[in-house]
Amino acid sequence: MLLNAVIIILRELVEASLVISIFLAFSQRFNISRHWLFIGLIIGVTSAILYAMNINTISQWLDGVGQEVVNAGIHLLIYVVLLLFVIFSLHVKKARVEKFVIFLMFIGVALASIREGSEIILYIDGFLKNPDLLKPVLFGSAIGAGIGISLGVIFYYSLIGLSNKAGAGVGFLLCLLVAGGMVLQATQLLSQADWIASQYPLWNTSIWISEGSLIGQLLYALVGYESTPTLTQVLFYISAVGSMVVLTYLSKIYASRTS
Amino acid sequence: MNIFLLLRLFVYITLMACTFTVSATPIIEIEIRDHLFFPAEIHIPADTKVKLIIINKDPAAEEFESYELNREKVIPGGSKGVIFIGPLRSGEYPFFGEFFPKTAQGRVIVK
Repeated sequence: MLLNAVIIILRELVEASLVISIFLAFSQRFNISRHWLFIGLIIGVTSAILYAMNINTISQWLDGVGQEVVNAGIHLLIYVVLLLFVIFSLHVKKARVEKFVIFLMFIGVALASIREGSEIILYIDGFLKNPDLLKPVLFGSAIGAGIGISLGVIFYYSLIGLSNKAGAGVGFLLCLLVAGGMVLQATQLLSQADWIASQYPLWNTSIWISEGSLIGQLLYALVGYESTPTLTQVLFYISAVGSMVVLTYLSKIYASRTS
Repeated sequence: MNIFLLLRLFVYITLMACTFTVSATPIIEIEIRDHLFFPAEIHIPADTKVKLIIINKDPAAEEFESYELNREKVIPGGSKGVIFIGPLRSGEYPFFGEFFPKTAQGRVIVK
C-alpha cells in the first residue's frame, strides 16, 4: 500500500513539477515576479477540490463520459498554454507580452493542479474511513510528494545552471515533449469515451519499456509515453509537436527582425 | 445546393451513424466490491467495440486501469463509469484497480 501511494502521488506530481520548474527558471532569467505561481496554485487546488467533490456529477455528463471529455479538454488547454508560452516567451522583453506570458504561466499552473490535484484528493479520500490503511497511505503520499518536488527542484537548478542559449533550448524541448504528451493523452481519453474511433495499435514497445514499470510510468507522466499507440494518436502527436516547432521558428524569425 | 439542406443532410447522416453504433455496441457490467472485480474475467468477441459499465459499490474511489487496453478512469465510490474498449485482436488484456492493486485484478479475454 505504501509503495503504491508513493508511485501514484509521484506520478501525479512529477509533470506539474516539471512545468512549474520550467516557468520558474524562465521567470528567474527574465526577472519576472513569481506571483503567478501562488495564485495559480491556490486557484488550481481550490478547483481540484471542487472537481473531486463533484466527480460523481461530472462522470455522469455526456452519457457517462463527462470525466474523459473534461480531462481531455484540460489536457488540450495545457497544450495551447504551452504552445503560446513558447511562442510569446521569445518577445517577453515587451511589457505587454510579459503580462500575457505571466497570465499563461498562471493558467498553466492552475490547469495542471486541477488535473493532478483532483486525482490525489480522490485517492486519499478513499482511505479516510479506513484508519488501518490511512497511515501508510499518507506516509507513502508524503514520500511521493517529497520525491516529486525534489525532482522539480533538480529540474529548476539544472535549467538555471545552463547558459541563456542552452537553457532556452532545453526549456523549449521540455515544453515540446510535455505538450506532445498532453495531446497524446487527450486523444486516448477521447477514444476511451468513444468520441474518437478506437483503432489497433501501430506498434508495441512494451517489451522494451513497459508502461507498468516505474520508468514507464514516469515517462508516461512526463512525456505521455504510450507503448501501443494508434494511428490517430501518432498523427495528432506529430501535428501537435510539428506545429509547435514551426510556429516557434516563425516567432523567432519575427523576433530577430523586430529587434 | 442550399447550405442548410446540406447541413440537415449532414445531421441526418450523423444521427443515423450514431443510432447504428449505439445499437451495435454490446454492454458488459463489472462490479467493484471489497476492492475486487466481479466478474474478474470477461469474454468479448474479437474486432468488436464493447461498452464497459464499471459499478463501484465500495465507498472508496477506484481507478480502473489497463496498460494493455490503454484505459484509465477514476470510478468514484458508490458510483459508476462508462469505458469503451475495442475493437481488439484476440488475446488476454489484464486490467487492475490502481488504488487497490493487490486485490483488484481482472482480465479481458478476446476471442
